[in-house]
Amino acid sequence: MGKKAAQESRTARAAEVLETQRREESRRRRTTISAVVAALVVIVGLGYLVSTTLDSSGESALTPGGVDGYVVTVGDDAAPTTLDFYEDPQCPICQQFESEIGDDVAAAVEAGEVKVDYHVVSFLDDASQNQWSSRAANALMVVQDLAGPEAFVAMHDLLYDNQPTEGTAGPSDAQLVAWAVEAGAPEAAARQGIESGRFDQFVVNATDQMSKDGVNGTPTVFVDGEKVDGTPADSVAAVRKALGGSGS
Amino acid sequence: MRDWVGLLARVVTGGVWVVAGALKLPDPAASVRAVRAYDLLPEAVVPTVGHLLPVVEVVVGLLLLLGLLTRPAAVVSSLLFVAFVVGISAAWARGMSIDCGCFGGGGFDADAREKYPWEIARDVGLLAASAWLVVRPSSHLSLDRRLLGGSTPSPRST
Repeated sequence: MGKKAAQESRTARAAEVLETQRREESRRRRTTISAVVAALVVIVGLGYLVSTTLDSSGESALTPGGVDGYVVTVGDDAAPTTLDFYEDPQCPICQQFESEIGDDVAAAVEAGEVKVDYHVVSFLDDASQNQWSSRAANALMVVQDLAGPEAFVAMHDLLYDNQPTEGTAGPSDAQLVAWAVEAGAPEAAARQGIESGRFDQFVVNATDQMSKDGVNGTPTVFVDGEKVDGTPADSVAAVRKALGGSGS
Repeated sequence: MRDWVGLLARVVTGGVWVVAGALKLPDPAASVRAVRAYDLLPEAVVPTVGHLLPVVEVVVGLLLLLGLLTRPAAVVSSLLFVAFVVGISAAWARGMSIDCGCFGGGGFDADAREKYPWEIARDVGLLAASAWLVVRPSSHLSLDRRLLGGSTPSPRST
């Protein structure tokens, strides 16, 4: 009897030791998990902070003269048809689009049949070795600011005629200044605006606005406020139809 | 044997998350536009989701690669894949042509409609791998095992 009691008490003591160990182990695990979770919260928080800081969309920006919202209007305000073009200077399909319909659009604008609302955006800097997309977009706004819509169109055409291939380095700032002058902007002011990236933030905001307008790529065309869905060929066809419809 | 399946699931899923998130981190504005392009979430939360998503992807990916908090990480991973499958399906059903933005990018893509089925198949596969880890988080070469002395870091006491 006494032997059995002693054994029971030994078993009980062993169980107690085990229990203490288990509790200790479980406490240690909880501490480790809490530390890891706390570290994760800090990491995600910091990452979110960095992301938010890197994205300057919507910060206050200088608006170029003669620009309403994010739109450069070319042509007679009273024209019966309005076309909206969303274009990135680095976008090859935009260049193709412009080379197909640019002359006809210019003629229709000249005749007072249409006006074009240009939305200059920039999201293709990754396709350039020297941020051609955003530099060219800024330069367009500099020309618009200094010399108005006619000079803007001249600059716009020069940029598409000389568009660098994706993945290469685009022309220098000095070349942009030369084209700005050719388009009709005064040299000193154009150089200052181009080199300082005067309208960089404006272009960032214009690109954010594009996405808010439900536009997910370039070129995107609206005819009288109606978005043209489909392929680039559909956009060309829609513009042709709009030009034909207004009697040209 | 099953622990090797767990390891494979962790490495594949975790690797995809780290790459997908890291590619998006440098251009948060593009990430926001990619989220907005789905036209599913209210504008009030679009920028937050766009900024947060790449960070969460990288963190979940690293946790899976390390095998740390495997089960909770796999739960988040599964939920994200469900959300992406829903998002891509919704874009497809509505006839939209958008790049899924899965690995950066986003926006219009003329070939998008041909890619949707493959993207959905890929995400369903990764969802299955994540679900495996939710059900059975134990795996070889995991920090859970090393640091926490077990595979299931359940906060249950005793």
